Amino acid sequence: MTVDNLINWFPFGAEWPVLTFVTAVVICAIPTFIFIAVYALVAIYGELKISSFMQDKVGPMGQGVGLHAAKWGLLQPVADALKLILKEDIIPESADKKLFVLAPFVVFVGAFISFAALPFGQGTIIADMNIGVFYILAVGSLSVIGIILAGWSSNNKWSLYGGMRSVAQIISYEIPAGLSIIAIIMLTGTLSMQGIIEYQQGTIWGILPNWIIFNNPFTFIAFFIFFISGVAECNRTPFDIPEAESELVAGAFTEYSGMRYAFFFLSEYAEMFVVSAVAATAFLGGWNSPIHGFMDGPSWSMFWFMGKTMFLIFTMIWFRWTFPRLRVDQLMSVCWKVFLPISFVNIFGVGIWNLLFG
Amino acid sequence: MGVVHGDLMTLNIGPQHPSTHGVLRLKVKTDGEIISEVEPIIGYLHRCFEKHCENVSYEQVIPYTDRCDYIAAMNNNFGYAVTVEELMEIKVPERVEYIRVIVAELNRIASHLLALGAYGLDVGAFTPFLYMFRDRERILDLFETLCGARLLYNYIWVGGVSHDFPKGFVESVYSFLDYFEPKIEEYNELLTYNKIFIERTGDVGVMPPEVAVSYGVTGPNLRGSGVKWDIRKDEPYSIYEKFDFDIPVGVGEMGTVGDCWDRYYVRMVEMKESIKITRQALKGIPTGDVHQALPKKIRPPQGSIYKRTESPRGDLAYYIVSDGSPIPYRLKMRSPAFTALSVLGEISQGWMMSDVLAILGSLDIVLGEIDR
Amino acid sequence: MSSDQDKLIAESVEKALQGDMDAINNIEDRVTRSKAKAALVKAKREAKAAVAEETPRAEKSKAEEAPQAEQTFAAQVAVALEKKFPGSLDTEDVNGHIQMKGEQWYEAAQYLRDNPDFLFDSLQCVTGYDYGTSEDLEVRYNLHSMTHHHAIEIRIKIDRNDSKIPSVEQVWRIGDWFERETYDMYGIEFVGHSNMTRILCPEDWAGWPLRKDYETQEMYHGIVVPKVKDGWE
Repeated sequence: MTVDNLINWFPFGAEWPVLTFVTAVVICAIPTFIFIAVYALVAIYGELKISSFMQDKVGPMGQGVGLHAAKWGLLQPVADALKLILKEDIIPESADKKLFVLAPFVVFVGAFISFAALPFGQGTIIADMNIGVFYILAVGSLSVIGIILAGWSSNNKWSLYGGMRSVAQIISYEIPAGLSIIAIIMLTGTLSMQGIIEYQQGTIWGILPNWIIFNNPFTFIAFFIFFISGVAECNRTPFDIPEAESELVAGAFTEYSGMRYAFFFLSEYAEMFVVSAVAATAFLGGWNSPIHGFMDGPSWSMFWFMGKTMFLIFTMIWFRWTFPRLRVDQLMSVCWKVFLPISFVNIFGVGIWNLLFG
Repeated sequence: MGVVHGDLMTLNIGPQHPSTHGVLRLKVKTDGEIISEVEPIIGYLHRCFEKHCENVSYEQVIPYTDRCDYIAAMNNNFGYAVTVEELMEIKVPERVEYIRVIVAELNRIASHLLALGAYGLDVGAFTPFLYMFRDRERILDLFETLCGARLLYNYIWVGGVSHDFPKGFVESVYSFLDYFEPKIEEYNELLTYNKIFIERTGDVGVMPPEVAVSYGVTGPNLRGSGVKWDIRKDEPYSIYEKFDFDIPVGVGEMGTVGDCWDRYYVRMVEMKESIKITRQALKGIPTGDVHQALPKKIRPPQGSIYKRTESPRGDLAYYIVSDGSPIPYRLKMRSPAFTALSVLGEISQGWMMSDVLAILGSLDIVLGEIDR
Repeated sequence: MSSDQDKLIAESVEKALQGDMDAINNIEDRVTRSKAKAALVKAKREAKAAVAEETPRAEKSKAEEAPQAEQTFAAQVAVALEKKFPGSLDTEDVNGHIQMKGEQWYEAAQYLRDNPDFLFDSLQCVTGYDYGTSEDLEVRYNLHSMTHHHAIEIRIKIDRNDSKIPSVEQVWRIGDWFERETYDMYGIEFVGHSNMTRILCPEDWAGWPLRKDYETQEMYHGIVVPKVKDGWE
């Protein structure tokens, strides 16, 4: 349900516009937050189990007597969450208290508000803005400020290192990501998320779905550029230098404990979801079914959207446990010397292709 | 060099740190991300092993030698036993020699697996670490059936070994070797030829051969710099002359000769060579009594001896001075990791923070051996 | 009775020496049997000693040959050193090692490393040595050549109370850490070393652990230092 619908539905909408708006927003934010929390639990469990199977282990297996859910370790993320909530909240004495407390919130806000423009299904979107994609890209960079605050306020050389590296990385990788989106915007002609998805309805030559990734070879490459830049923006391996365990313990978040650390964790998983969702929307057809006509329609749309997003999240987890990590200067040189030129070429390519082949 | 240096920042890595291979402290002076000086500070694990050896008898020294390089304990025992036997001019039976070579080579494989797995962990690859440890577990299980201990064996005694092979041991070693050989290809696919790994380690931490020799670096570290020197071939002890195996050297395949990738790759190929040696030894092992030449009381004649053997980390040597009593008068253990760590300051200048850990991992140090 | 016993023992021991153990094993009385076995062991030991006496010359000459090859090499090195640095050798007798005086050690080390005949480019081991309480200290260097594959040991005696010796840190770079370790354990000061501090023990540890007259300190920063227990064997 969009905010627009809610506002129309309110009896006093016209007389108290501000109050109505605020109430509508709050009503939409609560399910989103619950969704993020539940999704994070699922994602953590998935990461533990998937990584264990890849490493020839079994992962968390509960010994729950009688409790069937616990037998496969399904209660493990719940236990993790409980542990983090109940932990002692330690603020180092020499840390800058106000900034220290503020940092997790800023990081979380950056990830949280981009959920407003994610198209969960046909007709299921909180705010169908006509600048949807642009909004998400813009708002996603708020978390950078939070990371800087965290690194600086911890008053710890290692956190500072981690914070600086992280910021450099995120800011650099936003550029190829944005440029790849521009490449596809030229095709769809609209920035609105639902508009992009509606462009991808139908089929190419009757069999392939009309997804942008299959549209022309340049958008095919643009998908990979966008996805890899997204992985870099979430600070995941192979780009997880800022949290490199073997070097900086936990990078910018070393001094955080308990619920504050949980917030950083939560926002990393939320970012992963946002990046995967945008990739699924812009390149993989959003809530469209891959086989035209089969399981198509508003009632199935949420299933397809979540399915595609979850598959991309699985790929991110897969990357983490396969590749070693890149060094900071190699990371940056890949971004500026490789991805950026390719993105420019993509933009030209898509434009010329569209001109030549309609 | 025309570079403007701001204030150098002094950082401390360790002694508690997820990546240091033991309790090691590194004092690092950096200019931003570029290192200008690295000073390793050791001594956190110093137990004065040499003083202990001056108070206990020759047989009682053997468990102490285990605990120096706890990852390659068999090779430590081996070196000590060979040294004392040469001092006393004891000739051990043929079967004992074969047994010693088999367990020493198996331990070499286990030690290299740990070194390579931990190195992958240092550069961020979590999965090869677990795969290599899974295979190392099988070797440790073999040792457990042999002498009851997984890590610190007290197995190779002066004049023999403590237990003979149990029934079925030879078959289980064969089956392990057959299982393990294709795994090396798996590791190569996963980590060795991975583009990101090559970027992280190729051309990084280059150690020229003259620097290596001057710093007394030996073993895979020296061979990675292109110097073909292996004590098993150049000053053979025990029955290594009977076996046919190669000595891999680094050729700079993925960068310069003597970089971290070369040292890593030399260890990988050495595992293959160890498998070869073990197979040859298993085929030719004679029967006999392993306790035949165990002396009743070890009382070496007066004199001193310096003997070198090849441990997985390099050239392990014992310098023993005996005054005719059953207790050593002076026992000095020259550990290869000690010299390997001393070269860290020299080869990591000018690299970045992440590279220091990559270089440290490629040197394969064990603090127990450095500090003794 | 005892003379009968002795005769029985003597006969069975003779038979056993020739390889027939049944004579001893068939003795019914347990005490006599064990005495016979003891006598057998003694007789075997004496026989071995007699054999050892008979072939000392053969063994000794073998022992002489092997060190003779080394002796020639060590003697060569000694001769060359004496020629280049007269007065640097302590004793004329070369026994597989070279005994030197400490004064010209730095120059001698450079010579040993750079001379094309020797090319000792690798310092393998530096061992400190204590001759006993209130005796001299000594430093022993094991050198090795990677090109020529020969090795030599050099020993330098120094006075216990004034233990100074030139440092060879600049000649072989590993001398840096090896000498710090010897300083840490024996208190021998290496003159010319850039950073003569303890390497294994903490910086403020008192005493030189590997000396024979070392007494562990009582307390270290408020922690009681455990002592080596007596009668440890």
